[in-house]
This record gives sequence, C-alpha cells and structure tokens, in this order.
Amino acid sequence: MNAEQPTPPAMDPNAPVRVETLPHAGDLRWPMTWYFLTGKLYSLLPWKKTAWTCAGFPIELLLGLDIFPLHPENMATVAAAQKQSRRLIEHAESMGYSRDLCSYCKTNIGAVDTGAPLKHGGIARPDIITCTNTICDTHWKWFQIQAEKLDVPLFVFDCPKIVSGTDDRTIEGYITYMVEQFFDFFDFVKKHTGKKPDIDRMIKAAEQSERLSALWREIYEYRKHVPSPYGMAETSASFFPLVVMPGVRSGIRFFEKILGDIKQRADQGKGTLTGRERYRLMFEGIPFWYRMRFMYDLARYGAVVVYEPYTFSFAPSKPVNLGYMETLRQVARTMMDVPYSYNLEKRIAYFKQAISDYRIDGVILHENLSCRPSSTGMIDLKNALQQECDIPVLIIQCDMNDPRAFSEAQINTRIEGFVELMERRKTHSPSVGLD
Amino acid sequence: MEKNHMETIAYFDASHDMPEEVIAAAGFAPYKILGDVRASNDPADRYLPAFFCPAARSIMTEALARSGQWAGIVVAQGCNATNRHYDVWKRHVPTPFLHWFNTPLKDDDAAVRFMKSELWRLMDAIQRHFDVLVTGEMLARANQESNRLKERLRVFAGLRAEKDMTNREYLSVMIKSMTLPKAEAIREIDAAIDTISNRGPFPGDKVKVLLTGSDVTYPELMDQIDEAGFRVVRDDLSLGERYFANRISESGDPVECLARYYLSIPKPATKVGLRQRLAYLEGALAQSGIKAVISQNLKFCEPYAYDAVLVNNALKSRGYRVLHVEREYTAAPDNPLATRLAAFAEMG
Repeated sequence: MNAEQPTPPAMDPNAPVRVETLPHAGDLRWPMTWYFLTGKLYSLLPWKKTAWTCAGFPIELLLGLDIFPLHPENMATVAAAQKQSRRLIEHAESMGYSRDLCSYCKTNIGAVDTGAPLKHGGIARPDIITCTNTICDTHWKWFQIQAEKLDVPLFVFDCPKIVSGTDDRTIEGYITYMVEQFFDFFDFVKKHTGKKPDIDRMIKAAEQSERLSALWREIYEYRKHVPSPYGMAETSASFFPLVVMPGVRSGIRFFEKILGDIKQRADQGKGTLTGRERYRLMFEGIPFWYRMRFMYDLARYGAVVVYEPYTFSFAPSKPVNLGYMETLRQVARTMMDVPYSYNLEKRIAYFKQAISDYRIDGVILHENLSCRPSSTGMIDLKNALQQECDIPVLIIQCDMNDPRAFSEAQINTRIEGFVELMERRKTHSPSVGLD
Repeated sequence: MEKNHMETIAYFDASHDMPEEVIAAAGFAPYKILGDVRASNDPADRYLPAFFCPAARSIMTEALARSGQWAGIVVAQGCNATNRHYDVWKRHVPTPFLHWFNTPLKDDDAAVRFMKSELWRLMDAIQRHFDVLVTGEMLARANQESNRLKERLRVFAGLRAEKDMTNREYLSVMIKSMTLPKAEAIREIDAAIDTISNRGPFPGDKVKVLLTGSDVTYPELMDQIDEAGFRVVRDDLSLGERYFANRISESGDPVECLARYYLSIPKPATKVGLRQRLAYLEGALAQSGIKAVISQNLKFCEPYAYDAVLVNNALKSRGYRVLHVEREYTAAPDNPLATRLAAFAEMG
C-alpha cells in the first residue's frame, strides 16, 4: 500500500522514535495568546461582553453580536494537558457529582469552585451562557448547572436529532425550528447584554470562518499523501483555532503557515514518520488529553493517525453569500450535521469513505466513558467496518480527561495485538477483530 | 401472530414524552416498554456497552425478545439513550414499524410549534403504515380517556398519605396504567381505589417521604424503601406524578392541546427547566407537609446525576432532610442502599 519502503514495525515499546513536527507548529502560540488575552480583556471591560459556549454552537453568531466566546470544554483540555484535571475532577466528585459524569464537566466545575487560574483550566465568569445539545445532552445539563451556580442567564439551543432514515422534508422542518430559536436567541442577547446582531459583522465572521475551515479541509487533503505529512499527534493541538475562534484572522494566518509546511513536506515526499510509516490509522473519538504521548507511542510501531472525525468535525463548509435567512438556515443545517454526532447509518458510510480515501490500515475507536453518545453504536460500527472493509478495528475503553481511566499496560497490550493484526493483514492473512 | 397482540404499539420513552393518545386514537393499545430487572441484559449488551444506562439496556432486551408481539415501536426523544439507541434498535430489533418521535427540550412557543409538527408526523406515519384514519374527533376522545385515567390516578395517589398503601402497590398500579389498554387500566385503578379505601389509616411506624430522581421501574426497590420504614406519598417520577399531575385541555384543537400538555408536565431532568423541577418538588413538599426526601440515581443515569447536587442542596437549604443514593439496577436486595436508608431512618 505505501509508496515508500517502510522498516518493519518496532515492537520494542521503549525504542526511541522521532516524529517530525512542522516548522511552524510552534506558531500556535500566537493565536492562543491572542485568544486568551482578548478573552481576558473582554472579561475586564464592562462594556464588552462574553459568553460561555460549547462545541457544536455557531461561534460566528456570537462574533456577529460582538460577544467573545469562552470555552469551558477547551479549558478543561488545558487542565488535562497541565496534569490538573484529576485534581479538579475529584474536587467536583467531592461536591457530590457522580464518577460516571462527563470529565470535561467535572473539570470545569472543579476549576470554577476552586478558582483555578487560566493556565490550569480556569475560566472567567461570563455575561451569558449559551449552549446546544447538538453533540450531547451533557452540554446543556452542565451549562445549566453552572448558570445556576454563577447566576448567569442561560440560553439552550434545542437541536432536533436526525436519526438513521430521517427524510429531507423532516429535516427542513427541524431547520425551521432551529431558525426560530436564532431569533429567540437574539432577543435573549439583547435583553441580557444590550447587544444586537450586526449583519455585516456576522457575514464577515462567517466568511473568515469558512476560510479557516477551508484551510483545514485542504490540510486534510494532504493527509491523504503517503507518507502522511501530518498526524493526529499535531492536529489535536493545532485545530484549536477552529474550536474557539473560527471567525478570527489570527487563526487563519496560523493555518496558512502550517499548510505551507505541509505542502512542502508532501512535495518532498516526506511525512511525519518519513521512511517509517507502516500503518495508517483512523482514530474515532476525543483524544486522551492528559496523555497525548499516546500518539507518539503509536509512532513506535510505525503507526500514524491520518484521519480523525473529531478534528474534522470542526471544519464544516460554512455559508457565505447566501443572504440573511438562508444563511441562518444553513447554520442550522450545519449544527445538525456534525460528523462527530452522525447517526449510525451515516457514520458507517462516512467511515467507509474515509478508510478508502485515506488508505487506512486500521481503526481505533475510543469508547469514551465520558461520552456515551459518541460511544453508542460503536460495536455496530466496528462490526460493519471489519466485515465491509476487511480491516482491523480496535475498541479502547478510556476517558478523554480523567487519567484514572487510562491503564497504560492494558492499552499497550491491546495496541500490540492490534498492530499484529494489521501486520498480518499486510501479509495477506485474514483479519480478526479485537473487542 | 395473535390478533390482540398485533394491536399493541410499544414505545421506548425515557420520561413521559410519548403521546400515547395518538396510538390510542389510531385504535392500538399503547405499551410502555419498561424492561425486566430480573432478566439478564446480555441480549442488549451485544450492542450496547455496560457503562450505558442499565434500564435502557433492559428495555432493549425486552424489545429484542418481544417485538414480534407488537404491531410497531415508537421511540420518543428523552435523553441520549433514546436518541442514540434508536439507530441500534433500527439495526437489531425486528419490527414492521419503527418511528422516531422528536420532542423539544424546552416549552416556549417555538417548542409548542415543533411538538405539534412532530405529533402530525407521528399521526401521518401511523395512518400511512397501518392504513388507518386518525381524525381530530378520535384524538379528542383519546385525550378525554387519558384524562379520565389521570383523574383516577390522582384519586388513587392521594390515598398514599391517608391509608396503609405500600410503595409496591402504588408503583404496580402506575405500571399497569402504562402497559395495559387504557380502559382496562382504568378498571384496575378503580379496583385498587376500592381496596385501599377500605384499608386502615397511614401506619404510625412509617415516615412519609417524597421520592425523586431516576425513574423507578420495578417494585423491589419500592419494597426496600418500605422495609426501611419509609412510605412514598409524593414523587415527581414518570411512573408516578409526572404521568397524572396535569390534564390535557379538552377545548380547542386536540393536537395543540396534546402538544401543550406534554410541555407542561412536571419537568424531568431530561428537559430544560431545573428551577421548574425544583418548584414542583417544593410545592409537593409544602402541600403535603413532608420533611424528608429520598433522591436516588440509577447508575449511569446522567440527567438526574447532573441535577442531584443542586436540587438536593436547594432542598436542604430550605430545611428538608435529603438522602441521595446511587443505586444499581437490580431486583436483589441492595445492601449499600439498605444501609443508607437505615441510617437515614435513624436520623429521625
């Protein structure tokens, strides 16, 4: 499958490995700095307004209202990367929150209750809180709790669920319901912040957002190259602008730079594991933020994650030049059509296409203890991919932000077995699934 | 297949979101799938991980075993179990008719319009699939029958605080109300009212409590609460007061009446409205003079687990004694639960 001649997989887990990062990877600090400083400024200046919001929410709407988005989820990942999430989660559990609840939510509850600083996942009190059930019910349950605790007005977008087999006419009806809520939201914002929608500003944000998304989609096109010039070890950090600042110039500049690096690398036939890319993987689910080294652990086997629906989900095609009402309808359509929360039929078709397009050798499904919606249907997804694509699929049960769920020895053992199956398939033996 | 079995349309409902009246108006018996706590969840566990709601897995287990007896199944949006498991059911539960009924999270004007459109979609799907007609008049009659049943349940439930009615007896009648054809259920409720009315007064050795949290679907849990010395005289459960607290308006468009009814019932944790949920609990406590609350959360039932901290702290701050427990899905005696209940009882 691979154009290059890879070396055999290194089965020694302690073997040194070098993953080539992009020359401009470090430039991520500039949009991050811009985001955190601007957020701080908006929180301090009384005439500026901020909102907590979540994945799946159209940030461009907030930007069009001159409201700065703050992301508790993103700050939860910061806490995990800084090895603070366990402490904050346990604090939330000491307040009575169940061990079985979302670890992002508990990290945020712990951070707010202990007054954690920004660098440890802390976040400022917003002027309003807005969220949607697009991805999960946890978002609005979590934000409802925090809105009550912080005494901040809450707006919830109710996003109807598009289950397998939903027809287009029904979806159009759902969109109408969503658009009605946009107008309710504008009323809510005006009531609580005095801000009104600025159509020009909103359109500009949408255009910049589409530019950012288009760059990300182009980056994904280059990930199809063999060897892949860009892996999940890096995308898990670099997609940050897509999540928190999709309509902002600073993120675009960063994406333009890394795309330039990727193009150059691809033109030279180089990859993130030049000469050693043996297995091309797809990873479904949220990564283990407290243990990003996992991606580098995979590299020891010559494995590179070249496609992950999670980061791709943040780069849908955004509406431009559609007019006001049609733009709102398209925003609603996009909110209901996120790859991360596709229904099972669509998810299987989507995975099969990605496996073909990206020449995937194996799929890792993260059955996330903190994300039951994403974990639903994974058994069927696994079975369908194994049967219809004839590739190994591994389900790993773990957690995105709670390091207590990560068992290194167990996961290493399962990864070794998975790598053996991929290797056997490459040598024409029939593949067998792992549970 | 026996004809009477084919007259049932079963439904998977995480709360009280499923408009049974539409099924009844179409000439079918609505049947709420509750699962069987005494049966292993192994059949559903082939498709759903063990860290998912065990009640939802049990409900799927029942559907896998019994769907051949039902004319069809409707899944009503309630929580992430219903909306995500639908796809899994679609692949594995054999049924000639499977319909997804979306319900809104909120209760504002946009939500009412959305609920109405979903009611029309459900009616249309049933009419087309089964070649039946559901007129406004038929739906209005079904709404009236539903109100009659709810009225009888209110009378029955009111006896909890006055008579010697066990927790099991209350839940058993609630289960019949949602699983039997409505006319038959009304007869059962009336019989239960007669029986309980002739009982002695509320036992002096029992403590009156309000029960809140995850839905209770099996009587063994109610027995355990009874055995610890507590009688549930108020609740906000779906197999409880949420089902009969309000009535459907009988004037005006029956679809509009039904939409407004379902958005006005006591809030479950699966809907936006934490303050409204708390207000119902406080109202129930104030009306009944109850001082103690048992809040229980089924393992992996997320909506109630999220609510529990704020709701329970709010009730405690108003002077109520609150016990919160996380329970397993089991018909066997739950020793940790028994210990917690005993300690709560000792606190007076």
